[in-house]
Amino acid sequence: MEGRLKGAVVAMVVPAFDEMGSREAPRPCYAAVGDWIGRTPASLFELKRQEAEFCFRRTGITFAVYTEGGDPERLIPFDIIPRILDGQEWEFLSRGLKQRVRALNAFIGDVYGKQEFIHAGKVPADLILKNPCFVQPMAGLEVAAGIYTHVAGIDVVRVNPTEFYVLEDNCRTPSGVSYMIENREIMSRLFPDLFARCRVRPVSHYPEELLDTLRSVAPRRCAGEPTVVLLSPGSYNSAYYEHTFLADEMGIEIVEGADLVVDDDVVYMRTTQGLQRVDVIYRRIDDAFLDPQVFRSDSMLGVAGLMSAYRAGNVTLANAVGAGIADDKAVYTYVPEMVRFFLGEEPILRNVPTWKCAEPGDLAYVLDHLAELVVKDVHGSGGYGMLVGPHATIAERAAFAEVLRSKPDRYIAQPTLSLSTCPTFVQQGIAPRHVDLRPFVLCGRDIHIVPGGLTRVALREGSLVVNSSQGGGTKDTWVIDL
Amino acid sequence: MRYRISHRSDYTYSGPVDLSYHMLHLAPRILPHQRVGDLRIISQPAPAAKSERTDYFGNRVTYLTLAQPHGKFSVEIEATVEVAFPAPPDEAATPPWESVRDALRAGGDGELAVAAEFSFASPQTPPSAALIDYAAPSFPAGRPILAAVKDLTSRIHRDFAFEPGATTVSTPVAQILEQRRGVCQDFAHLELAALRALGLAARYVSGYIRTYREGTDGLKGSDASHAWVSFFCPGPGWIDVDPTNDLVVAEEHIVLAWGRDYDDVSPIRGVMLGGGDHFLNVAVTVTPQT
Repeated sequence: MEGRLKGAVVAMVVPAFDEMGSREAPRPCYAAVGDWIGRTPASLFELKRQEAEFCFRRTGITFAVYTEGGDPERLIPFDIIPRILDGQEWEFLSRGLKQRVRALNAFIGDVYGKQEFIHAGKVPADLILKNPCFVQPMAGLEVAAGIYTHVAGIDVVRVNPTEFYVLEDNCRTPSGVSYMIENREIMSRLFPDLFARCRVRPVSHYPEELLDTLRSVAPRRCAGEPTVVLLSPGSYNSAYYEHTFLADEMGIEIVEGADLVVDDDVVYMRTTQGLQRVDVIYRRIDDAFLDPQVFRSDSMLGVAGLMSAYRAGNVTLANAVGAGIADDKAVYTYVPEMVRFFLGEEPILRNVPTWKCAEPGDLAYVLDHLAELVVKDVHGSGGYGMLVGPHATIAERAAFAEVLRSKPDRYIAQPTLSLSTCPTFVQQGIAPRHVDLRPFVLCGRDIHIVPGGLTRVALREGSLVVNSSQGGGTKDTWVIDL
Repeated sequence: MRYRISHRSDYTYSGPVDLSYHMLHLAPRILPHQRVGDLRIISQPAPAAKSERTDYFGNRVTYLTLAQPHGKFSVEIEATVEVAFPAPPDEAATPPWESVRDALRAGGDGELAVAAEFSFASPQTPPSAALIDYAAPSFPAGRPILAAVKDLTSRIHRDFAFEPGATTVSTPVAQILEQRRGVCQDFAHLELAALRALGLAARYVSGYIRTYREGTDGLKGSDASHAWVSFFCPGPGWIDVDPTNDLVVAEEHIVLAWGRDYDDVSPIRGVMLGGGDHFLNVAVTVTPQT
């Protein structure tokens, strides 16, 4: 799960809403950048692209792919043309995201508490209780401030100037935030004059905001300044760069399982000056590997006794164990109802219409319309295990239909969306390519969202997936005040 | 019936253990039909920290931390338990098994919803067509559920041979179904997997059974821990059946804990630093008291 920038964005190139508009009549937020694109020769773009790649390599902003052979350290392609949102669009998105994450946290708390959402019949019990992401040891466990997802990556797509849809919620360990920050760093080195011309809201304070968020959820019994650490699986993890980057920027220790010990339900880290108590753990290890006493007993990455300390209220884990129950693509379809049920509000951001193959009526519809739909595995990630109807052969669709009939509970389907495009520097010059957006929502005692987020772009023309391991890249995202 | 139980597990390690954490499911549950008294848990070496909690299924769980280096670890539980399972209803008076399946699927509130959770497959009890085929003859249309489950229980007792050593704690149900051999844990998993594959709700129950020996005193430590199955029937509630001995449980079984399968109730699980290989010796004594 960790490491790969996951997320499948499905799109058709024709006819898409282009976020810049046209060269002659750009949308207001693209005025300065549109002008710059028009006046810059392609050779200069190529030069700057190479400079960017050099900066990434030298800084070591790579992710590791071990399964393909060759050099495992890969770069995610970075496109030097920024994706731009204006202040008002961002305010709208921001309000919607805050609302959504509040509802998700309330839902997760309810699932491990009174289960009122289930008893009210709002969601089928077996979708939750039978779910591999439902973690029984979390039932009845109280977490600080009732927050389960402290860092949420909510993937958003756009189909026209005013319609945004949430594609999926990532409540466990959304990755990519280090790219968001490094992309901005590199853009400001490459194009300082552009930044001088536009009022771009900063993103570099994300690590500070993250640290504040983590501190704000320290256990009640914590006296004084909370000790926060980042728990990483270690240097062989594909997202290790991001772990070290964040720990460094926040000024906290990065630890591995062996560095921590639990004594009498309190977590300590081993330092050269003896044991030091730990209050908050920003953990980048999956639930199953966290505590060999309670979860996978073969895990060498975790800390025995961590769950006991957690239950005793002596340590906070961010994101909480069991938050993955909200990540499930079938549970996703109930999120608008969660907003109504837990907050008593109408959802600001909409879900993509989704058919749940677990329901016979929906399954029948999906099988009939396979050629028009995108079908995804509810526990899938990274664009794998899915079918893109319009781009599959008849044989592929038939094979997939068989899979659907045998395991309908595992699949959901959505219509193909005509996603917005953004000018991108490709081999043919500047051309429109489909994009999505992953804002990172920080939820502590308050909710903070750093303006923009990570924009992912499908670099191949007509390509359907923005995932980094399948030909996707990233762009710097600017929120501009006009 | 009142019993004095003693369950002792002795671990010997090939190297010293510096630090270990253990999670025990060894304290018998307190139930309307089971009273527990005089419970003592003694561990050697003495634990640096000990706590008791209740897990998701309501079982009593004891956590021990051993913080001094040790080459052996033993834990012994003693308790006095008084058991009197309610007599099962007349099997013909229980509802048809399909109606129970349908009621569970419909869900709702209260005890049906709680029971329904036990109708889902669990890691050790995956469904399969082979299981449904095996169980089907016991479940013809309209048969009252208790009659059907008793029939399945008897058939398992008859068709499968009790053979310690033929399997391990992790032998999959598919293999047991094929080789037709195993111990009480395997038969319990098999029956559970079959019942769940049919849509019924059933729990894995771990505990003890009184064993009869010739003479007035049983040999100490020669009794065994035991596993059986509890299934849900609206009305009477949970009814316990034992496929290893082909009975409906009455007075000769003592309940320790229940869950979805063995993994939820394993008697001792632990993590240790050091130790090398470990060797385990278990001694259980169940003594009836008059």
